[in-house]
Amino acid sequence: MSSWFDYTVNGLIIGNIYALLAVGLALIFGVSHLINFAHGSVYTVGAYVGWAAIRYLHTPLPATMLIVVAVCAGLGIAIERLGLRPLQGSARIAPLLATIGISFVLDQGLNLIFTPDPRALSSGLPNWRWQVGGGTIGIMDLLIGAIGIASAGVLFGFLRFSKLGWAVRATAQDRDAARQMGVDTDRVNRTVFAIASGLGGLSGMLVGMYYNHIDTAMSFNATLKGVVAQVIGGMGNVPGAIFGSLLLGLTESYGVALFGSSYRNLFAFVLLLAVLVLRPNGLFASARQTPPEPMTGTFIAPSRPVRVPAWALWAGFVAAALLPLVPDIAYILQTLTNGWLYAMLALSLTLVAGTVGQVSLGHAALLAIGGYASALLALDLGVPVPFAVLAAGFITAVVGTALVFPAFRLRGHYISIATLGIGEIVGLVILNWEGLTRGPIGVAGIPPLEAGGWELDSPRATYWVTLVVMAVLGLMQARLLRGHLGRTFRAIREDDIAARTYGISLNRYKGMAFAYGGFAAGISGGITAHMYSYINHETFTSQISVLALTMVILGGLGNLTGAIIGAVALISLPEMFRFAAEYRMLIYGFTLLLLIRFRPQGVLGTV
Amino acid sequence: MDIQRRTLLAGIAGSVALVRPGFAAPASGEPVLVGVSGPLTGPNAQYGAQWKRGFDLALEEINAAGGIKGRPLQYVFEDSQSDPRQSVAVAQKFVADPKIIMELGDFASPASMAASPIYQRGKLVQFGFTNSHPDFTKGGDYMWSTSTNQADEQPRLADYVINKLGFKRPAVLYLNTDWGRVSKDVFTKSAKEIGVDVVAAEGYLPTEQDFRPTLLRVRDANPDVLVLLSYYADAALIARQAKDAGIKQTMVAGTSIYSPKMLELAGDAANGIYSFSAFFPEEPRPAVQEFVKKYKAKYGVDPDTFSAGAYDVMVLVAALAEQYGPTRAGMREGLEKIKDVPSVIYGKASFDPNTRRVPAASYKFLQIRDGKFTMWDGSKPSG
Repeated sequence: MSSWFDYTVNGLIIGNIYALLAVGLALIFGVSHLINFAHGSVYTVGAYVGWAAIRYLHTPLPATMLIVVAVCAGLGIAIERLGLRPLQGSARIAPLLATIGISFVLDQGLNLIFTPDPRALSSGLPNWRWQVGGGTIGIMDLLIGAIGIASAGVLFGFLRFSKLGWAVRATAQDRDAARQMGVDTDRVNRTVFAIASGLGGLSGMLVGMYYNHIDTAMSFNATLKGVVAQVIGGMGNVPGAIFGSLLLGLTESYGVALFGSSYRNLFAFVLLLAVLVLRPNGLFASARQTPPEPMTGTFIAPSRPVRVPAWALWAGFVAAALLPLVPDIAYILQTLTNGWLYAMLALSLTLVAGTVGQVSLGHAALLAIGGYASALLALDLGVPVPFAVLAAGFITAVVGTALVFPAFRLRGHYISIATLGIGEIVGLVILNWEGLTRGPIGVAGIPPLEAGGWELDSPRATYWVTLVVMAVLGLMQARLLRGHLGRTFRAIREDDIAARTYGISLNRYKGMAFAYGGFAAGISGGITAHMYSYINHETFTSQISVLALTMVILGGLGNLTGAIIGAVALISLPEMFRFAAEYRMLIYGFTLLLLIRFRPQGVLGTV
Repeated sequence: MDIQRRTLLAGIAGSVALVRPGFAAPASGEPVLVGVSGPLTGPNAQYGAQWKRGFDLALEEINAAGGIKGRPLQYVFEDSQSDPRQSVAVAQKFVADPKIIMELGDFASPASMAASPIYQRGKLVQFGFTNSHPDFTKGGDYMWSTSTNQADEQPRLADYVINKLGFKRPAVLYLNTDWGRVSKDVFTKSAKEIGVDVVAAEGYLPTEQDFRPTLLRVRDANPDVLVLLSYYADAALIARQAKDAGIKQTMVAGTSIYSPKMLELAGDAANGIYSFSAFFPEEPRPAVQEFVKKYKAKYGVDPDTFSAGAYDVMVLVAALAEQYGPTRAGMREGLEKIKDVPSVIYGKASFDPNTRRVPAASYKFLQIRDGKFTMWDGSKPSG
């Protein structure tokens, strides 16, 4: 059928675009073992720099491209020098978080300068088009393809034949050994960031011209697609990244052909998971490559945790419990209620990511499962609210663990990417499974919190309920971790091979951790649903996953008190910065960066 | 704060104008406050920015003309990023502040409807002027809206496409959100009542940029017209890519694409698209012309539906406060009773106390020609 030919062409066209993104990400990952979450933001910066150059300097296309590459390469150098180099030697997780913070600051900065209104970005090229099958391809398609292939070719030559290129490859293989051989690894890092960011910026500009559309919200999706494409090709593998991008484009295009546009990302993430589970090194990896990063144990740095005495915790709890007696503070109570709900999520994540070392980037999905479970049980089956919430906890524990089970064999970054994918899949299933979830219309009229006929929907009552539930979950978790279970979990985190040698069944213990984590997060999601009275697939966005991880790292991985403090701090800070109106998220981003810079092990330290 | 400074300046400008006869004394004294919960940062921030422009323009006039019984009307804009977690906190803040007499927003349904129980309990009117979700005003008797309603708009779109333009095989592309989904369902039903089946209906996610495979699916259903239930940004992308994907059919879009940005983003590809809108700046009605003139003078660009809606809602707030007293109870009572408030979008707006919405906007039929929105000349498309 001729349509299939057209779908193939379309898949290659979009894969072409992903390739530009994936190559830069692959280069950075190859050298510094870092998923650069700021890459999408650099891409957006490139688009806006191109727009400004055309608008104010009236540059022709080649000059615009040079300006964009130069500015973004400079930005890359600045990111590496100011944001990442100071974090060398601290836990691997710190630079990862720093790139998230940098991305935040860049996006918000663009928002303030250019406003979030989408803009047209015209290439100024003649609109030559060629008939291919039922559709046409244009000059931009060819230009993007040519630049993708040319940059990959230049990169290949650079890595293979230049001295600096050798240094880059040596650093990628073994940073310490390279340094001992006299390689200036800082220079290598700088070079890599400059190249990758220049390329990233250029791709942002080209994609903007392709769609004649740029906006400040395009960075997250760009990062997501770039990461997926490069994982498919093999993390850090440049030719693999191009292949992975084309495959991703084709998969999406065929997916749309079969089921429609709403299913597009579902196909993308299922492909991601399949590759991760079946060939974690990517489709392009050679058979003799070392197994996927043996980096557990270095991912999370040990530190000396701050011991908070038990009496201080109790005093804190009593003070929190007495707070609602102060009159007229409904706003503060609501903010803290949100804080307690997020503390439950952070407790769940700190167990999974901190204690067991499985850094999850899809935790918002657990909230969504819990929220929908509780809302639908109460609405459709008439289950009383307290039981619905409790059941939501158990359902989330079972469903969440089952979903993440295939990823149990993965380690380090791969876990994070797999959970990111699972999180997106859950969101898309909620959107598309209309029979159960009511699709995009969402669930309205969810009954408010109550227990045995007592309405618990006043700010005070909700506050107390969430505080007590959070405290109970925290105490249970502390109690569990005090015994052999805690030691076993930490043993898996420190060295899973050693742990297995001692006869510990990894799957069993990871399963237990995810089940308990799912329970806590499901309860939090359930209560949230009853508090909001309305939820849809956009209520629990994937940004919440990143926020939860930030909370956990801020408090100190595995540190229960730290998780609670991190949650309350990150929920309260944006509220405290309200006076700054448009600037508040920018201030929040900077605060986060400073915290990571000066206390990468978290406020209370890793346990 | 920026807003207060601006109203202050407006006040000064008003007092300078005092020398001219026929001007009321500018407002002074304790301000009358409305709370606004909406996105100033985050992915929807452009809509918050549009709201502000509409609000500020309306307030300039209201306060120069004496405000509410001599007191200036002002708003407190709290950024929620259109995120339910933040909109509920903002709701508690507004409910706890006795100076706030009414609340406007939030922008998207999850954020607005999560805050509804708090406003309902706090007996503070939540006025969601962009909330078309059918369940929004069912949240309680304190939830009101001037948002054009899909139950009202889509049957007219179906009538336009099928009866007025004469198409028989419509394919629908819709934004897969609560808004787009409801629009699609109502459109499909209305078309069926007229006797025409929708040959294909394709939903897409708000983050989608690549529409070529979706358009291929639509092409294979062999429609004679593409109906876009989209916002302007996605409609522009679809229009551009449709030509590239080899689709030659005419496109008709709902009111939501009406924005100067549509023309900028779609370029030449926008030409020939039919549309209709409750708000159209070239409509000769004096209220519209006056609004457009003032808006252009102040901001240098054409207003869009969001700023027109924001302008309208501030005018409504002033009328309510003036006639029924600037208190929470007064505003709630006033919404049921008030009749024929001047409105850029509706001409004159009154509420149906049962649905708590404004029935029937007056729609203008449009076509994009030579890179401009123009009134439809009434001719059926050839071919």
